[in-house]
Amino acid sequence: MSCSPVPERAAALRGSNPGNAGAVPRSTIAQTARPRNWAVAANLSVLLMVLVPLILYPLIRLLMLSCSGPNGFSLHAYQAFFANPETRGVIGTTLAILGASAGIASVLGVAIAALLFFKPFPGAPLLTRFLELFVAFPSFLVAFTLIFLYGSQGSFSIILQRLFHLEQPPLDFLFGTGGVILAEVIFYTPFVVRPTLASFATLDLRLLEAARSLGAGWMMVARRVVLPIAWPGIAAGTLLCFLLTLNEFGILLVLGNAHLVTLPVAIYASATVDLDLPTAAAGAVVMLVMSLSLYALYRRVSRQGTRHGR
Amino acid sequence: MAAAALCVFLFVLPVVVVALSSVAQHWSGTVLPTGLSLRWFERLGGDDWDALTTSLEVGFAVALGGTALGLWLALSLEGRDRRGLGAAIDTLAMMPNGLPSVVLGLAVLIAYHKKPLDLSGSAAIVMMVQLALVLPFCYRCCAAALRPELQILREAAASLGASPARVLLRVVLPQLVPALRASVALGFALSLGELGATLTVYPPGFATVPIVVVGEVERGYYLPASALSLLLLGLSLLALCLIAARVPRRAKP
Repeated sequence: MSCSPVPERAAALRGSNPGNAGAVPRSTIAQTARPRNWAVAANLSVLLMVLVPLILYPLIRLLMLSCSGPNGFSLHAYQAFFANPETRGVIGTTLAILGASAGIASVLGVAIAALLFFKPFPGAPLLTRFLELFVAFPSFLVAFTLIFLYGSQGSFSIILQRLFHLEQPPLDFLFGTGGVILAEVIFYTPFVVRPTLASFATLDLRLLEAARSLGAGWMMVARRVVLPIAWPGIAAGTLLCFLLTLNEFGILLVLGNAHLVTLPVAIYASATVDLDLPTAAAGAVVMLVMSLSLYALYRRVSRQGTRHGR
Repeated sequence: MAAAALCVFLFVLPVVVVALSSVAQHWSGTVLPTGLSLRWFERLGGDDWDALTTSLEVGFAVALGGTALGLWLALSLEGRDRRGLGAAIDTLAMMPNGLPSVVLGLAVLIAYHKKPLDLSGSAAIVMMVQLALVLPFCYRCCAAALRPELQILREAAASLGASPARVLLRVVLPQLVPALRASVALGFALSLGELGATLTVYPPGFATVPIVVVGEVERGYYLPASALSLLLLGLSLLALCLIAARVPRRAKP
């Protein structure tokens, strides 16, 4: 099960050079084989009629509710959302946690992928397979298991207490910023490892050997040979990690506290605890803009990666 | 080797912890659980089993619905142009991938909790929002399986006189079976673990396992939550193995 984006085959093939003498581009065959008639258009229209109520209509209603007040169009809900003292600075918190978690996870993920690819240790294939399964884990579950390990009564806390003969178990960071960042790093690093590994797999190892034989050290090989080729995959993986961390909810629900409010948590609290749907809708629209912009960027970068010969 | 240890430490350990904690008699204030016991499984109450059945029902519905819709999308949007109706539909289908689950849940709640379109009293609203969230994955799974080599087989069949319907049934679908199985397994696993949107839309009485587990964790009942989580994970793994087993190991791009 690869997570690679849908290949834009038609676009890629249209760019093929006329030097392929005699080879008819596959897109031409496809187009002559497919009946270009109303049946195709009708099929797409029916599909649209299924997707619109599922996805587009709710989003439009969300937008409408966020802009509606007692007397028609009003931005009151947006003011209410951001003026609420509990949610003030919520965007700052969101971005701070995002930067820390996704930043660490990206660096760690690339490092682990490099390790798995260039210096495999016995059991590396097993670990790679495991990392692929790991992404089907629910995120809140990972956070929950950390309570047994890093919580104040958890295993590592007790180990440290016994090791250093302390009065109290020392670790008390889990239900706060540190804990959230740890949980997000653990959960999202595999999301960076997989696309990075995939892009390393496109490397022509002979290039590396050639560079080494010409006297380049490992750092130079990494910087000048590997990174330029593997960059699209790494960028895509990193962007994905940032996007998913931005949208993360389960981990914050388990490990967060009243001072640690990110946008998804604020939206949820506004909707279900305060039962204030318009305010929640306002926050949701802001979140929507942020997420979709990042997602559009991610799609553009992955498409570039696909185009450059994967 | 140190790096390998780090990997195991970070990633494998949480999984081991779920398994271990669910059979622990007591695990607080000690490095390892004190004593083993199955009592947490015995103590699973009516609410827990209800949540499990709800999760399973929703999971199957979403996995099958998502795969069907994803297959339909993949076949319809195959040779689409860069701009046009096909590209727009592709963007729409993939959009939930970039959204936080809570936002989509809220949107669905707003759209479908008042007459005339009131779905908020049944599990249908949960299935609907999870379907939207799972669809991008199923669609991508099926679309990735429609490889150019398949196109050659289809043209060969068409040139031998088979009707498009026959080409679809006899040539395309059998080739897609591994991808369809993977899509069902993935949809099922994602649905079982879904929290954000489900928590926002679920009607009373239709809690799923993640909701119950998080509720128990918030109240401090860690070990019963572990038992329930282990059941959930076991079911996911079972489905993954049963449905997606024998997926041919093609060279991945």
